[in-house]
Amino acid sequence: MIDRRLFTNFDWGLLLLVLVIAAVGVVNISSATASYTLTETSYTIRQVYWVLIGLSLVVLVCSIDYHVLEDIAYWMYGTVALLLLVVLVAGKSSMGATRWLHLGFISFQPSELMKIVIIMVYARYFDNIPVSGAMSFKDLLNPFLLLAVPAIMIMKQPDLGTAILVVLIAFSMILYVGVRLRTVVALLLSAVPVVLLGWKFYLRDYQKLRVLNFLSPERDPLGSGYHIIQSKIAVGSGGLTGKGFLQGTQAQLRFLPEQHTDFAFSVFSEEWGFAGCLVMLVLYLSLILWGINIARRCNDNFGSLMAVGVTAMLAWHIIINVGMVIGLFPVVGVPLPLFSYGGTSMVTSMIGLGILLNIRMRRFMF
Amino acid sequence: MMDAKEKWSRIRIRIIGSLFAVFFVLTSARAFYLQIIKRDDWIKLAGRQHQKVIPLTPARGTIYDGTGTPLAVSIEVDSCFAEPSVIEDPKAAAAALTPLLGMPTDVIEKKLSGKKSFAWLRRQVNPDLARKIRELDINGIGFVKETRRFYPNSEVAAHVIGFTGLDPEGLEGIELKYNAQILGNTGYMVTERDALGRDIALMGTVIKKASKGYNITLTLDKNVQYIADKELAKAVTASRAVGGIALVMEPATGRILALSSYPTFNPNAFRRYPHDNLRNRAVADSFEPGSTMKAFLIASALEEKVIGPNDTFHCEGGSYAIGGRVIHDTHKYGTLRVPEILKYSSNIGAAKIGSRLGPERLFENLKKFGFGEKSGIDLPGEVVGYLRDRSRWYGIDLATISFGQGISVSSVQLIAAISAVANGGLLMKPYIVEKISDDSGTTVRQFSPQIRRRVISSGTSRIMAKMMEGITTEGGTGLNAAVDGYRVAGKTGTAQKVDPLTKCYSASKRTASFIGFVPAEQPRLAILVVIDEPKTSSYGGVVAAPAFREIALQSLCYLKVPPTVPFKAKKPDPEEPREKTPEQNASVAEAGIDEGTAGALMPNFHGMSIRQVMRYMEKNSLNVKILGSGRAVEQNPRPGLRIGPADQVWVKFVPSA
Repeated sequence: MIDRRLFTNFDWGLLLLVLVIAAVGVVNISSATASYTLTETSYTIRQVYWVLIGLSLVVLVCSIDYHVLEDIAYWMYGTVALLLLVVLVAGKSSMGATRWLHLGFISFQPSELMKIVIIMVYARYFDNIPVSGAMSFKDLLNPFLLLAVPAIMIMKQPDLGTAILVVLIAFSMILYVGVRLRTVVALLLSAVPVVLLGWKFYLRDYQKLRVLNFLSPERDPLGSGYHIIQSKIAVGSGGLTGKGFLQGTQAQLRFLPEQHTDFAFSVFSEEWGFAGCLVMLVLYLSLILWGINIARRCNDNFGSLMAVGVTAMLAWHIIINVGMVIGLFPVVGVPLPLFSYGGTSMVTSMIGLGILLNIRMRRFMF
Repeated sequence: MMDAKEKWSRIRIRIIGSLFAVFFVLTSARAFYLQIIKRDDWIKLAGRQHQKVIPLTPARGTIYDGTGTPLAVSIEVDSCFAEPSVIEDPKAAAAALTPLLGMPTDVIEKKLSGKKSFAWLRRQVNPDLARKIRELDINGIGFVKETRRFYPNSEVAAHVIGFTGLDPEGLEGIELKYNAQILGNTGYMVTERDALGRDIALMGTVIKKASKGYNITLTLDKNVQYIADKELAKAVTASRAVGGIALVMEPATGRILALSSYPTFNPNAFRRYPHDNLRNRAVADSFEPGSTMKAFLIASALEEKVIGPNDTFHCEGGSYAIGGRVIHDTHKYGTLRVPEILKYSSNIGAAKIGSRLGPERLFENLKKFGFGEKSGIDLPGEVVGYLRDRSRWYGIDLATISFGQGISVSSVQLIAAISAVANGGLLMKPYIVEKISDDSGTTVRQFSPQIRRRVISSGTSRIMAKMMEGITTEGGTGLNAAVDGYRVAGKTGTAQKVDPLTKCYSASKRTASFIGFVPAEQPRLAILVVIDEPKTSSYGGVVAAPAFREIALQSLCYLKVPPTVPFKAKKPDPEEPREKTPEQNASVAEAGIDEGTAGALMPNFHGMSIRQVMRYMEKNSLNVKILGSGRAVEQNPRPGLRIGPADQVWVKFVPSA
């Protein structure tokens, strides 16, 4: 199973890119948390641990031929769906939502795992049922069902951010497989009443506020518009070259909310300015295009589908997080992959990157 | 069929890739809009938030002298503030505070009223006042610790250390030059809950403590500095001059051991002094050096081998017409050897050596000695002086520059140049900061001697030392600078000052100076004394040389430099006290004090221990007041004077290093 060619085909460039982004992230977290007074291990050290754990996961994922994933896709799907059910019944509450599952020594969010599993199960499904490349409603029925079950359970937790991401990942893969144009139009039209009904009956008050505040943050600058305004002040006052490492006033005086997790990029933009922003954006764009390239050059359909799915997962995280930080999107609690503090996000991103590397190094093998 | 499908999927994948790329471009554009175009608006918004954040005075690092004595320290004091939105009865509070703060009641009341969340009442209050205000126990009046600069030695080295403003920025001296290193990070105090209403920090909680800056260790030696300060002040007041400069440097390294500028000031209260006192004359003033220049002229001429050490020049009997002008000597001289030209300071001899050297070589050599360029000393405001470019030397310029007219220099340039003569010919960069260290004492930066260039050969340097020694021997202009027990090499200088009004040389105003090094054969100290506009006499040999001698003698004593020649005035010998010790060329003033009473003569106690002094005094049944401990550095009456029964006899001791 271990072949010498695997090493020669290993994509060191992608690994280097990942390491660079993660390193910048660690440095940024050290600045974002400089004003915190901690008694336990600092966030910076802990993030370094998470990066190391993530890298070992990359090695682990790479050592298994990704075609195995095709075989176990439905099993995984069933397991995680079951876990989601368990969370709904017996999970642990944190910040008004029930997302965590405790297994004695380790706690984790099954919803996070669903991001990877939905990619696997879609790749398996579309690989086995060869569709013409222009799917109609009928063709989409099964995929929608596969998506709806976990998505609804995640929304029930409630974790809107993750639910949206799972849906976006799935839609990206469907678009890649191909849908008839009129099907797309019809779906979009039917989405309108769904959104309206959702607003009226499903969205919680704080979520409605977030959307309203995104549309006009000045509505309530001291209340729920606070996040957007503070983030824009931090980013905007950074200017061209930024205020310098550890010198960001908004971050160091802790005007920024969640500044080591969801708003880590605000801290970075304040301290390194437009120049720093541009460098990070170019790094992330390279990462995405790298993933697309792996998908394009993969010789089997399952591999391509998996690569597209993983790339879409990373891309949507980046888009939603950066969009939120610079005020393009409403506040949705989505971390920036490899950059924000947090083990869950790091593990998910690294598993995804492991899959990409796996596909890349086995592209000549069947 | 398969190919077409594959092609389609490839195209779709490219479309997805492009869509992501488009988003990144949009994001960049948005960032550009926020950070570049709208930047000022956001900065304004950020600033408005910070008004709720009160910056706290950062602590400055300590400045030490070379022996580790603190010269400038930061002490913690209370700053008093009010929280108007909390104060219930501003009127009553203002009335209670009025007598303590000494401000009108309505002014205080205005500060205490309104919806503002914060107002300073008084910063850096003394502990007594702080206690009294605390005792009033008014809700909404609070204190926060800030730091204030304190200079424990008052005037000592005031010009070197400089001072700071109320905001802790350095305004002068080392405090200014090394402000970035000495100044710590500003702390912040958040005076109300943050914009969201979350408890970031409650009233008066310091969320980020001001941190201390780096400590600075100077090359200065507090004791040598004290000696220089004291002797300079004495010389300036005795000659009724307007000001003066004294500099002590280690010729081998360029380390400044003392830098005095007079009139001086107390940096703890610098605002009470006229601006003139605050100026560090040693670096900020330039003056015409006069005859001290002859040392560098002759060194240059010897180095260029246009003269030999025993060549002779005819000095024209005191007046010499050159370039349409006549130059004079103070005394009439015939033929003089080169060392004698220096010893008697003959202008005519110097002019003739200058013309043999020629303008190009003189100009180049003076530049090599560091004139006309900054010495690079790490103090602010250094002047370059004025060495006119060679292309603009006309007529008599070569002759006058040869004896130090028509050129201006700073004291630091002068002492660096003489140090080059003293240390074998190397021009050192003068420096005053020895090292920068952090709060834990770890050295952040160590400064070491820096050679700027070789100016003259060590051979020329030796010849010069020998020649300059002649000046402090019998018949030389610098006899008053002779230090008992040591060979002294030096040169006097007396220059006319340019009157700023007439732009001509003033008839009465002079700059008198003495520059030299001891011991001549192996120099440990280079010393410069400059007296600005002395009234009693205009000669450097009369007004500056005695101060040089005192600084040299006391510093050598303190530094335990062993004497190199037998004492002329013997050490006190209890068996037969000497009749008269001509410690100084008998001056009228001293003769007047000598009342011819039967008392014993005051011996020279310099360098003796308390025990030795006591034993001598006991044998002669005299009472002596002992001040300090260590080795004797100062005494009253002066050596060789008769001790009258009513005289205050005291000997001052300084701990040896």
